[in-house]
Parts: sequence; C-alpha cells; structure tokens
Amino acid sequence: MRILIVEDESKAAAYLKKGLSENGFVVDTSSEGDGGLALMEKNEYALVILDVMLPGRDGWDILSEIRRRGIATPVLFLTAKDSVQDRVKGLDLGADDYLVKPFAFSELLARVRTVLRRGPVRQPDILNIADLEIDLLRHRAARQGTKLDLTPKEFSLLALLARRCGEVVSRALIADQVWGMNFDSDTNVVDVAVRRLRRKVDDPFEKKLIQTVRGVGYMIEND
Amino acid sequence: MTDSFSGQEKSNAWSIKRRLTILYVVSAFGILLISTVFLYWVLTTRLAKEDGQFLAAKINLLREILAEAPNNKEVLQEEVEWETAPFRLAKYYARILDSRGRVLIETGKMDTVAPSYIFPRPARLGQTPSHAAMRKSTNGHSLLVMTALARVGDSRGQTRILQLALDISHEDELISDYRSRLLLVLLAGILLSAGVGVFVAGRGLKPIEKITRTVQHISAHQLHRRLGQSDWPLELNELAGAFDGMLDRLEDSFNRLTQFSADLAHELRTPINNLIGETEVALSRERVVEDYREVLESSLEEYSRLSHVIESLLFLARAESSEARIEKKLFDPRKEIEDVIEFYEAMAEERGVTVTYRKASAAAGSGFVNADPTFFRQALSNLISNALRYTRQGGKIEIGVEWGTDGGLNISVADNGMGIEPEHLGRIFDRFYRADSSRSENKPGSGLGLAIVKSIMQLHHGSASVKSEPGKGTKVTLSFPD
Repeated sequence: MRILIVEDESKAAAYLKKGLSENGFVVDTSSEGDGGLALMEKNEYALVILDVMLPGRDGWDILSEIRRRGIATPVLFLTAKDSVQDRVKGLDLGADDYLVKPFAFSELLARVRTVLRRGPVRQPDILNIADLEIDLLRHRAARQGTKLDLTPKEFSLLALLARRCGEVVSRALIADQVWGMNFDSDTNVVDVAVRRLRRKVDDPFEKKLIQTVRGVGYMIEND
Repeated sequence: MTDSFSGQEKSNAWSIKRRLTILYVVSAFGILLISTVFLYWVLTTRLAKEDGQFLAAKINLLREILAEAPNNKEVLQEEVEWETAPFRLAKYYARILDSRGRVLIETGKMDTVAPSYIFPRPARLGQTPSHAAMRKSTNGHSLLVMTALARVGDSRGQTRILQLALDISHEDELISDYRSRLLLVLLAGILLSAGVGVFVAGRGLKPIEKITRTVQHISAHQLHRRLGQSDWPLELNELAGAFDGMLDRLEDSFNRLTQFSADLAHELRTPINNLIGETEVALSRERVVEDYREVLESSLEEYSRLSHVIESLLFLARAESSEARIEKKLFDPRKEIEDVIEFYEAMAEERGVTVTYRKASAAAGSGFVNADPTFFRQALSNLISNALRYTRQGGKIEIGVEWGTDGGLNISVADNGMGIEPEHLGRIFDRFYRADSSRSENKPGSGLGLAIVKSIMQLHHGSASVKSEPGKGTKVTLSFPD
C-alpha cells in the first residue's frame, strides 16, 4: 500500500519513511504542501500523513484543498498543538485521525493500520494465536486447551494484546483501553499488571507469548 | 495584561480633582441659592405682613373714631390729614367716603395720587380685609391699598367707606437692592468655592500622587519593596495594604517561576545528560549489535521521560490558560473511585499496601460530585500513585468521601506512610517540588503529579489541601464545590 508523507522536517520525514517502509508500505515524501498535492494528483495513495505546521500553506489549507479537489484519500494529521480546538478543526476539515507530537512510532503505526482497516472489517469472535485461544464473546481464554483463570481486567489486557497481534501496544494505550485511564497516568501499574498476566499466561508454558519491547510497550507475536 | 493597566493613555473619564471641584461648586451654589432665596422670601413676606397690619390698625382706629365720635370732625381731621403727613418711611394716605361714594375727608393730594376708583370693593361691614391689595399710583409708585366699611355712631345703619393706601416704593427699592446684593453673593460664592475646591482636592489627592510615585519605582528586581501601612491616610491605607498584598503574591509567583525555570532546566538536563553520555560512549568504538540495541532502548526510555515531562507541562499550561475547558457533570464518584482503585490494585498488592474506599457517613454515600469525570480520575489517580510511592509495606491507603462545609463534596486520600515535614507542606503542590530532596535523583515520578492535581482543582474552582505528620502519614483532601 502506498502512503504519502507531507512533512517539512527532514529527520521526521526520514524516520517515518524508514519505519513505514519496513512495515511493508511504499512511502513517498514531500517537504511542502503544493508538492504533496501534485503527487496526490499523479499517484493514488491509500493514506496521506500530513503535518500541520508546514512552510507556506499549512496543513489545514492542504487538507481543505485535498477535499475540495474531491480526493477522498484518508488523511492522518500530525500536530504539535495539542488543543481540543485544533483536533476538532482537523476532524471538521475531513481528517480521519490525528496524532500529537511527540508520539511513539508504534502508536503511529497502529493508527495507520486502523485508518486503513476502517470499514466493514468484522472482528472475529474467537482469536487463535499459537496455542492460545481467546473467546471474546464468553470472555474465556485457554492455552493448550487449559482454561486460564483470569480476572476481567487481565482478560481485557490479554484480548487487547491479542487483537493487535504483531503490533507493539504502548503502556498509555493499555491504561486507556483496559482501565479507562485516558490520561498521563502512572504506567508502572501497567508493568505490574502485565507481570501478573504473564504469570498466568506464559509462566506455566514453554512458549512465551507476551513480549516486552523496551521503551515502547508490549506485544504478542505469533511466529 | 489588559489595557486598563497601562495607565499612560489619556482616559476620557474625569480626573478626581475635577470631579471634586465640580462637586464643591455645585453644592456650594445649591446651599447659597437656597439660603438667599429663603432670606429674600422672609424679608418680603415680613414687610408685606407689617404693611398689612399697619393698614388694618389704621382702619380699626378710624372705625373707632367714627363709632364713638362721629361728629367730632376735628379728631377725624387730625387722624386723616395730619397724622398721615409726616409718616416716616412710607407715605400713607386715608380717605373717608359716605355710602354713596362722596368724599368726606381725605389726605391732601390723595385724589391725584390714589383716586377712589383704584381701590377694591370694601369687605362686609365689621370685617377687615386680611391682605392689602397691590396697586400702581398715578405717579408710578407702588401702593398697598385696603378698603373697609365703618359704622357711624351706634345708630341705624349709616355707614362710611374707608380707603387707605400705603406708598411702598421705598420698600421696593430696598428689596431690589437686596436682590442684586444676593446675586453678587451667589456669584462670589461660586468663584470662591471653585477656588477652594481646586485647592482642597489638590491637597487631598497629594497622597495618591505619592503612592503613584512609589509604585512607579517598583520593578521586577525590587519586588521586595512595599508601600507600608503607617503613613497613608485611612482610605489609602487599605489600598496600600491591598497593593502590598498583591506584591506579596507577585513576589511569591515570581520566585516560584524562577524556581520553576531552574527546576525545569534540571529536570531536562538529567535525561539529556544520560542520552549524550550513553550515545557518546556507544559510538566511541565498534560494538556488537546487542550493545547498540541496548543503547537505543535506553535512549527510548529517556525520551519517554522527556516526553512525559513535556506532556505534563503542556497540561499545566493549558489548565492555566483560558484555553482549558472542562465538562462538568453531576455523578456518583463511587464508580470512578472504584475504577481508579482497581487500576492500582495490582501494584498495591505487590507492595503490600491495601487501598480501601470508605464512606464517612450514610449521607455522604448518596453524595454526587460536580466535576469532569476524566479530570476527577486523573486527580485521584495522581494522589493514589503518590500515596503508594510513600507508603511502606503493610501500610494502607484510605479513600474517603465526605460532605464539604459549602455543600460540595470532599474526596480524601489518606495514607499511613512516611509523611511530609511541615516546612515542605506549603510547596508540595508546586511544580517539580519534591519534599525529599535526597531522593530527587532517580525518582520515579516527574514531580508534576500534585501540581496537576492542583490545576485540576483550580479548573473546578475547588481546592486541594494537605495535612501531614512525619512518620504517621499524609492526607490530601480535594474539595469539589457544589
């Protein structure tokens, strides 16, 4: 899938391109809005990542221009301004999602995947990862056929990691999704919770499913 | 700063000096006007009354003479012709007519000055008119005239008409003279009061000028200067006190700000120092991939720390600006409290600390809190996180809900941990302030948790307070207003 990055800061553009390319996307970059618009006219992109603070025409301007020209490509905008009005403005102008700088790359990757996946994709009721089986409807999990005795929160945590299998899930996202702590909270708590979950999910078995990605978060990998 | 503080621009409001002067002039003019008008009125009515009484007395005298000695022409003549002549101030005339209007006797020249036809019709027999009427004489003088009937002897209905006139032109002159003098007094009064007003207002406002000069000398480097309380007039004393209070707060804020900048620099220096050092060492020679990986991962942790600090500072900055908006609603805090406790449950268990939720009374159990639920959680979360950090194994943390005195709800987080020394209590809500400076290196938190709690409470127009006893524990209470 092809992605366009419009970002004037060359370092940021470079690492975004690198990271996304390594995750299987074809990436073009442009350092200013008009160049980006020209590329959009020429190629068909699955997604545009747009920085708001651009020299000359700013991101808002480009965004409205894209929509005015009838290009329906999903847009994910990056902003350093973290005000509610800014977010609302972006979404009003037709952006599909936004990320506030500084952000973790894993978070960006997750958002990109979500935006691209958005649509009629149905989540299966039962997830199977290696010998782990998670029944999302009955809130039950088992490994090698043995039922795992999990608390509701532990189950939510496991299900979150399993649904995002192969992606790193940040501590902040875990705190938000599992406990509803959608603010900057004490993330040591997440480490404790994951440690406890591991005791039940991984310790009794030889194959360890839950991986720590240092400095980023946790993930379940199926290989 | 709003424009009204700039002071340099010309304001179109009147100066106090001008206001006071105008007030003086207006009130002095008012008082003078009222008193002169009153004096004038007293004088004129008094004169008119005396004149009336004089005429009435004369009528009665003539009546008596006519009644008792109707035929004694000499007495009558004396009374009418001579008595009238040498009258001192005003000239006085008298005339007696018979019932058919023929003149029987009159003061000399009266027929030319006050002919019979200018007199009013007489009152009924036996009555004396209460007022004299005003007439103009043929030579232009003002006359007070009175007409009455008199009985002749005690006999059968023979009557005479008495006509009396008093020349009051002399009084008229007096009154008009008096009037012009009063006008003069009024005018002089206005001028005088204006002068006095300017002088008095100028003098009265001197202390304000002095206060202004003193204030002008206070700059950021001299925030310790104060106006003092003793030498100002009573009214300005309060202003000076309020101003000094403002300076106190400003100085305090200024100091905090300075401290904050220093702390912030320190806070940022530590991770950046780590990053530079680690990277430098890593690059100093060839290494295996694992080593590079180790450095990168360590760097990522430092970056997260920096990012966390920035995130928190942005939150605080937003909370203090007008940008911040909270969406308050009325809700039962129980659910939120239990959620937050659940979040920390695992960690508390690992540390051997129990976290309990205690309702103080039955009444408080039904208490709803008026707050933004997300901010409510965040504040509580920060407090519990803090309490956990400073509570030893086997300790306990108690979350309480109580009615506030103002009808709001108080949420308290009490621990039996190490407590805080009294000298730190006043500043623990400051950014980056840590009570335990020896532990400030390599500390777990960012030092912004309580500052965020305070900001959240300010957004709710509530307050956060702390009580602590070293070695016994700490209790932080959040008061949400109704």
